[in-house]
Amino acid sequence: MNGNLYHNKKAQWATYILFFALLALVPVFVPQAFLLNQFARYCVYAMLAVSVSLVWGFGGILSLGQGIAFGLAAYGMGMTMMMQGQDPVSNPIPGFMLSNELDHLPLMWEPFWSPTVGVALALLVPTVFFMIFGTLMFQARVAGVFVAIMTLAELAALYFLVYDMQPFTGGFPGLPAAQPFKAFGISIDPYTPLGYWLAVGLLAVITLGTKALLQSKFGLIVQATRDDPERVRLLGYSVSLYQIVVYTISGIIAALAGIWWVMLTQFVSPTALETQFSISMVIWAAVGGRRSLFGAIIGAYLVNGLQSYAGDTFLDTWMLILGGIFIIVVRFLPMGLAGLFETAIGYVSTNLLFLKPKKYLSAERLRAAE
Amino acid sequence: MSVAQFWHPFALEPFLNALFIGLSIGSVWLLAALGLAVIYGTMGVINMAHGEFIMLGAYSTYVLTTFLGVPVLLCLPAAFVIVGAIGLVMERTLIRFLYHRPLDTLLATSGVSLVLIQGVRLIFGGSPQNIPLPAWVSPVMDIGFFHLAWLRLYIMIVTFGLIGLTWIIMYRTKWGVQVRAVAQNKEVASACGVNADLVYGLTFAYGAGLAGVAGVLFSAFKDVFPDMGADYIVEAFLVVVVGGVGTLLGSAASAGLLGELSSIFSYFTNDTFAKFVLFTLVVVFLRFRPQGLFAESAARR
Repeated sequence: MNGNLYHNKKAQWATYILFFALLALVPVFVPQAFLLNQFARYCVYAMLAVSVSLVWGFGGILSLGQGIAFGLAAYGMGMTMMMQGQDPVSNPIPGFMLSNELDHLPLMWEPFWSPTVGVALALLVPTVFFMIFGTLMFQARVAGVFVAIMTLAELAALYFLVYDMQPFTGGFPGLPAAQPFKAFGISIDPYTPLGYWLAVGLLAVITLGTKALLQSKFGLIVQATRDDPERVRLLGYSVSLYQIVVYTISGIIAALAGIWWVMLTQFVSPTALETQFSISMVIWAAVGGRRSLFGAIIGAYLVNGLQSYAGDTFLDTWMLILGGIFIIVVRFLPMGLAGLFETAIGYVSTNLLFLKPKKYLSAERLRAAE
Repeated sequence: MSVAQFWHPFALEPFLNALFIGLSIGSVWLLAALGLAVIYGTMGVINMAHGEFIMLGAYSTYVLTTFLGVPVLLCLPAAFVIVGAIGLVMERTLIRFLYHRPLDTLLATSGVSLVLIQGVRLIFGGSPQNIPLPAWVSPVMDIGFFHLAWLRLYIMIVTFGLIGLTWIIMYRTKWGVQVRAVAQNKEVASACGVNADLVYGLTFAYGAGLAGVAGVLFSAFKDVFPDMGADYIVEAFLVVVVGGVGTLLGSAASAGLLGELSSIFSYFTNDTFAKFVLFTLVVVFLRFRPQGLFAESAARR
């Protein structure tokens, strides 16, 4: 292809696999249960960044409502885990319902007696929601900032619904789960290497799967709809179909992240549906690099790592700095750290490694030349 | 929770009262959205920091009244100037570099919003501030079944005043002609001798100043705290997009409509559930009419 090692697909796959191998080794060096759990949570943040990178960086759809899928799935999982702690005979109704004067288990909660059905619903409900919502938006050719506003409004609406329906959703205090999630007779303690490895494993599967998808013909067409939807339409492709599919896949990723999040924290509350949280996901992807899955993951790790490091006393100042970093990245580094890295690797590979220089102009150069 | 508790039955007098409250809610949202409508309508910039401009207006009032003893009425023009100046600085140093990347202005301004919230929190602390009000602001008007705080009436008056002022500026002055020309086609307007940079800068400052004025009034009926802007931003956006981009009349009509719907839903259920229903309705509405209620034939961005 061209002289920049950054664009070498074999090198990319090698980097990704090496990175996940290193991540998998973390429990060997970090024996502290609390830290391990924190690293596992970063994996969930990284999944969300991948989901944003896919839909926004590659699909060109700025969704500020990824929290919809995350939150719906998190609630599904929270309900499943809560029902695992209840007994159908002696203690059939969760405590918060009793304190809200509910004398029977609502119909909506009945399926969650079965963990299998519960987890399936946790994944299925957000997927179907994104499919329907995406179909509504993209078939009407809603694009650009309108997508951002519509997704944001829908997220806010859902937040108010969950917040208000306290007898059914736990309201503001949320749903705590007494015990870790049990699957196939094994209790998944989030403070053990098992919990961590499950998180890294899912992150690896999601990232590599998304990468393979983006390199396929489907992925190329998705990126074409981002760059020039009109031209893709004139070439005979259904732009809305590709947008719906890529939007739904990003929703599935965010939903998986939501399920894993509750497994790791044993708790879900309306904060999962806060607009600020969904905007944060975009910040992680933007800082790391919206058009690089690896960059987005690094962005999620970096921002959240620094945030934890800043601690509670320094948190306000850190948020101020984060806002500043975000402004600078958007203004000067639209492709994030990955963009910077791309330039650096390009310089090294053409000037120091003497790889073949570029034979054609990049899209940006062409646009500038026009 | 039984249905009877959740669903409030209809009764004429409280319902009429709810309609008045709806008008008041609409005027509050319109006041919050007016600056946004001017900025988005002219420049196509989604300003996520708009709520924080409102917050800055409220904090200007807090500082001016508490530490400098300025009367509340004087705070209206003062906040307009202060927040307008902040808006001008923001446009000149950040926004103008991003005009060709509309999605990125949305992101950059959400970064600005974070900086403003945290900056104010670091300076003034996170706890809510209370602004002492003069005696003529607080009473409630009671005419039979009809209860309305005078303050809400003042807000309506100021909102209509500002709409009128903005309309006169936009449609009856030479400056307004230039603004509308740039909004329609920046290149052609520039070619005809309009200084588009100046128009953009001052329009953004004017929109920010309007948010500042809104902040002064909102500081009177709610506490002032660093992330108070978040309470208005989604509603303000919805008012603008439902009304249609670049039409003041549309914004006013949609604010009235949304305010009334919100109040009616609140009457039958409760405030929080009403927001859920309203936002969902708006999303569905935008699906079928993305150009809004009253779309001018302005260039789509």
